Formats: sequence, structure tokens, C-alpha cells
Amino acid sequence: MATGLNGFPVDTHLPGHEGTSITRHGFRITTRKLPILKAGPIEEMSKKLGITPPEMIFGDNLVTVEYKESGWKIEFNAFDALDRVDKTGEAMLKVSYSKEWQQNRSKQFEDIKEVVKPFDWSYSTDYKGTTPVPNPSFEPTTTPIPLHLLKRPDPILFFDDVMLYEDELADNGIAMLSVKARVMPERMLLLCRFFMRLDDVLFRIRDTRVYVEFATGEVIREYTAREEKVEAVREALARTRDDVPAQMRDPNKLAELLSIVDKSLERLVVK
Amino acid sequence: MSIGGSDLDQAILQLRACRPIPESQVRELCYKARELLIEEGNVVGVDAPVTICGDIHGQFHDLMELFRVGGDVPDTNYLFMGDFVDRGFYSLESFLLLLCLKVRYPDRITLIRGNHESRQITTVYGFYDECLRKYGSANVWRYCCEVFDYLALGALVSGAATTLEPSDAPFADLNSQASMPGLDQEIEIETLNASGEVMFRFARNSEQSSSAAEPSQNPSSSPLPTPARTGAPGTGASSSSYGSMGSSTGAVLCVHGGLSPLIDTIDKIRLLDRKQEVPHEGAMCDLLWSDPDEIDGWGLSPRGAGFLFGADIVKCFNYKNDLSLIARAHQLVMEGFKEMFDSTIVTVWSAPNYCYRCGNVAAILELGEDGGNGGFVSRANGDVNRAQVLGEKVQGREGPGRRYRVFDAAPQDSRGMPAKKPVADYFL
Repeated sequence: MATGLNGFPVDTHLPGHEGTSITRHGFRITTRKLPILKAGPIEEMSKKLGITPPEMIFGDNLVTVEYKESGWKIEFNAFDALDRVDKTGEAMLKVSYSKEWQQNRSKQFEDIKEVVKPFDWSYSTDYKGTTPVPNPSFEPTTTPIPLHLLKRPDPILFFDDVMLYEDELADNGIAMLSVKARVMPERMLLLCRFFMRLDDVLFRIRDTRVYVEFATGEVIREYTAREEKVEAVREALARTRDDVPAQMRDPNKLAELLSIVDKSLERLVVK
Repeated sequence: MSIGGSDLDQAILQLRACRPIPESQVRELCYKARELLIEEGNVVGVDAPVTICGDIHGQFHDLMELFRVGGDVPDTNYLFMGDFVDRGFYSLESFLLLLCLKVRYPDRITLIRGNHESRQITTVYGFYDECLRKYGSANVWRYCCEVFDYLALGALVSGAATTLEPSDAPFADLNSQASMPGLDQEIEIETLNASGEVMFRFARNSEQSSSAAEPSQNPSSSPLPTPARTGAPGTGASSSSYGSMGSSTGAVLCVHGGLSPLIDTIDKIRLLDRKQEVPHEGAMCDLLWSDPDEIDGWGLSPRGAGFLFGADIVKCFNYKNDLSLIARAHQLVMEGFKEMFDSTIVTVWSAPNYCYRCGNVAAILELGEDGGNGGFVSRANGDVNRAQVLGEKVQGREGPGRRYRVFDAAPQDSRGMPAKKPVADYFL
């Protein structure tokens, strides 16, 4: 048996699976769920990315939708998503008590000023998936995803929920990127969601939805970025009778309360 | 009602079965625990042998697995470096069991404070909600928070052996046996799996050290030599040898997060007023929050609060305080432990499959008892002026012999909950 770092076996019992897939009308949908990366691969990834990866990095996880006949495919993986995180520190957020902390600190330690490796540590990404094959490519459209077809209780033939990365922001909130996919007999929907809560500061939800109509080969991709200050959300929730802390942890509930800051709609046909 | 003697044993039995104890008993237990903890200094003195554990985070069944792998209390002495609560589903049972064991066997178990042992953090990350759910009121949460304020900030382990008595255990992988040091050599590091099989063994002063170690001639200009990392990947084992001290090792400082620029001696930790909520800044905050990083000196976290410290800071601190190692927790490490900076600091992580989805392994660190090697002078608890070593020409201390036991999450069926499969939903 191969041994990994620190000498323990690589093949310890692992949650998840090496890969499951379903094929419908020539579209093959695959998911892969493995544990977080170990020290070696993380180091490698840090080097390639130029930033420290999130604390929980599911670097082997994957969701792909592939049209076998033409080889067209869209893939969701952690590395490509993280490669789109700001690496300069320009878009950097500060934790809620940062001002207070720094005021006290600057008096005590004038020599400790250097911010170590600044980057967007909230791991905010506008990732919309990776499309390695250039043709056909997404074009802007006004055709929305047909929600009425998705609201029908068609049987779900395949479902998975795959985490790509998660970070606790050093106990200042949460940032996570995950992908859900459901395949019905005639169509499928994929949702790649980035969710971030910086305690007492900011909420962010960035959704990429990919809709595929199998018979026509039509693929619609919709991206919506939402953002709101925590205080504004708290005020809005206070007007309701709901359990505020629970609501603040539920992205589905929160999405309605956040303002849309960016949006795009694209379409292509693989056939 | 009181919680002495048999009541306490009864409570331990109940908590071991993962069943909460009544609110009145929690109140009594917390009162007893506070009486006990108030007598402890900010830095608790602990004698080897001891088993050092990192974050637990309410993963009760994995804590049971930890005791199975490491030995039960009171047969094994334990030192838990905080973050007992939050994240997992059983913060309450985990913390109360540890507290019961502390009250029942005060000399066998040491609990120090993590950054999650705080009112503010527990309201956001689960423990508060759990108490509310299990008792219908926040009283139990309040009792526990009062205990948090009395937990020590660190521990100082003395009397640890420099070399390990090699485990008389089979090898996990017979093929690797040949490449491991023989039993005639001094063992510095040993890694065992949950079945107690040897996965890895590393000798001190093995052949690698001859090329790596240049014994430091002038500790003032260069506090410690920095030999190449020649140990197993991930252990950072350097096998650096500083002369032929052989038998004695410095003390091991245990703290949840790390160092603080306000603290250059352990005595300064002893002077803090710890009986309060974890503040947002100051030395007490740093000890519970800071992280080591591959930098020079001190740095500010990009998050806008919190310190990072480099190898030079650790080496100077260890040298100045006559430490051979700093053990800390606070950061998830996939292999369960991670030695850094030529094995001058180690992160120990004891929550396997963290948050029930990471798939990581956990580890505990065993330090053996110095078997009368002569070189070691045991210290009184608490009042030694460690700064004295500054004047002496002392070279960096050899690290203690370290036995890591690595373990997986408890089997799913022992948790009484079904394996988590994603439930198909009509998301939009």
C-alpha cells in the first residue's frame, strides 16, 4: 500500500466517491467527491495560484456536463474558481473589529505594519465554469431559463451536491463554493453558488446556473451576483417574525434580501 | 443537589453515552469546575507523560474514538488545547464530559482555552443554539461561558523524554520496515495508526543529520541553525543535533493559537488577567488567535486583525524560554499534525473528518516521561524565572520524543445517525 505524508496510508477511508455519472440524450453529467487536499497538493496549488487556498479545499472535486458527440463541455472545479479570486489585495475586505484592532496596535507596534501576502481572503469569485472547448461559445441572450419547466415535479434521475471549497474566514464568517446538479428526463439544472458572510460586515451570493434542454441541445447560463451589508439584512429580518440567526445562515432565504450587483445571461446550442 | 463522588461518576457514565445531564447538575458541575480552575495559573504546569490534543469542536463520537486510541482517563494523562465546542453537533456533551473528567481527575486532565471558548464566538458558531435546543433556555450556555473565563491560557509540560521507547508494535506496512531506523537507535518521532501499528519511525541524529546540522557556534547572531528538512514530509523532522546533550529536553509550551508580540517570556503570560471574555486585542487575544506562517518576524493578517509569526520568532522565543517545542492547535491540518520551523512548533488537530465532510485524519501527540536520564532538572510549577537562560551560552534544545497517533472519524454507525447522502431537491 502506498504511504502518504507522515507515513499514513493514502487510502484511508474516505467520504464521497471517485465519480458517478448519468448520460441522457448524449449529455453526460459527472460528479466526483473526495476529501480535502493533503499538505503536498495544497502546497503545489498555492504555488500555482499565488495565494493561500481556503482552509477546506476540495481540490479533487468536480462537476462536468459534457456533450459526447462534439466534445463540448463545461466543468466546475476549485482551482479554476480560485484562480479568479483577486490576488492583489485591491478588493480586500476587513473584519468588523479591524479598525479598533489596528488603532490599538499601531500605537503599540509601529514596526509591525506589513500585511502578509494581501489578497481577497474572502475567496470571492465570479467563476462561471470552465469551458475548455472553444466552440460553440456562449453568446449573450435575452432568453431566460424556463423556470416553469423546472418547477414541474418531474422525476429527478440524478442528484448531487459537491463542495469545491470552504473557509471559516478565521472565525469571522464563512465563504463557500458548491455545485448542485439535478437531472430530469428532459432537462437538467446546475447551480454553482458562492456564499460569503463576513460577520457584521457583508453578505455575498454569486450564483451561476446552467440549464440544459436535452432534446434541442440548448444550454443557458445565467450569472447573478448579490451583495448587502449585514446590518441592512438584519434590519429587514427584524421586521419579520422569523428566527433571525437561522435566516442569516440560509442562503436561499438571504438571496431575496440582497441587492443584485451584477448579472449576465448567455446561451449556446451544442447540436 | 451536589455533584460529588458517585453523582459525578453517574454523570460521566451518562455523558459517555452522549446523553446530556440535567440543568441543575450542569450548574453544580460548572461551579465545582470554576473552584478548581481558579486555583490554576494562567500557565498550568504539567508533568510528562502526557497526551496533547487539539481542536475537538463538538465531535463527540470522535472524542470517544480519541480516548479509544489514546487510552482512557485516568489511565492516560491528557492536555486539551481548547476549541471543545462549536461546529459539531455535540458541543454540549463533549465539553461537559471533559469538564466532568477534569473535576473527577483534576491531576489527570488539563483543559486550556481556545478562541471558541467565548460568548461571542459560541453565539455565532453553534454552541449557544445547541444549548437552547437541548435545554430550552440559555442557562446552561451561561454556566459554561462562566467556566470558559476560568480556563488557563497555556500549559507548560516538563519532564518529557528526549527519545521514545519504540512501540512494541507491528508495522502497518511491512515493506517500509526496512527503511526505518532500528531499535538500537534513538527514536525521535514515531507515527502510529489507530490500530497502534507503526506507520513511520524517525531516529534522532540519523545519517541525514550529518549533512544538515552545523552545530551553532554563536547563538546570539544566529539563534539556531536551520538544517534542511530531512524528516518525513510533513513532520519537518530535522534531526538537528546540537552537540551531545542527549538526555535533557526543554519544556513544551502548549497554547491554542500561538505567540504574541506582547509576550517575550512565559512569565509575562502568567501576569495577564485571564478571568474575562476573550478580548478583541491584547496578549490574551493573540495567544488564542495567532498563527505561524512562512514569514520573517511578525506580520499582520490580511483580514485586518490578528498576527502571524515566522520561524525566527518561534526560535527566539523557545531559546529565551528554554523550550524545546511549542504545541498549538487552531488550524485544520489534513494529516492531523504539522511540524514547522525545524520542529520548533507543531500544530495538532484532533477533529477527524472535520465538520463531518472534510475527510481529514486527526492526531494526538504523546510525550513520554524522562526515564531518569539525569540531565533534566524538573521545575517547580509556576515561579521559575526562565529569562535566566539568556545569560548562559545554551544551545537550542533538542525536541522531545514525539509519538503521534493518527486516527479517523468514528464509524458512521456509532453516531446513531444515518450516513449523509445528499437529498435530491428541486432547487432553482
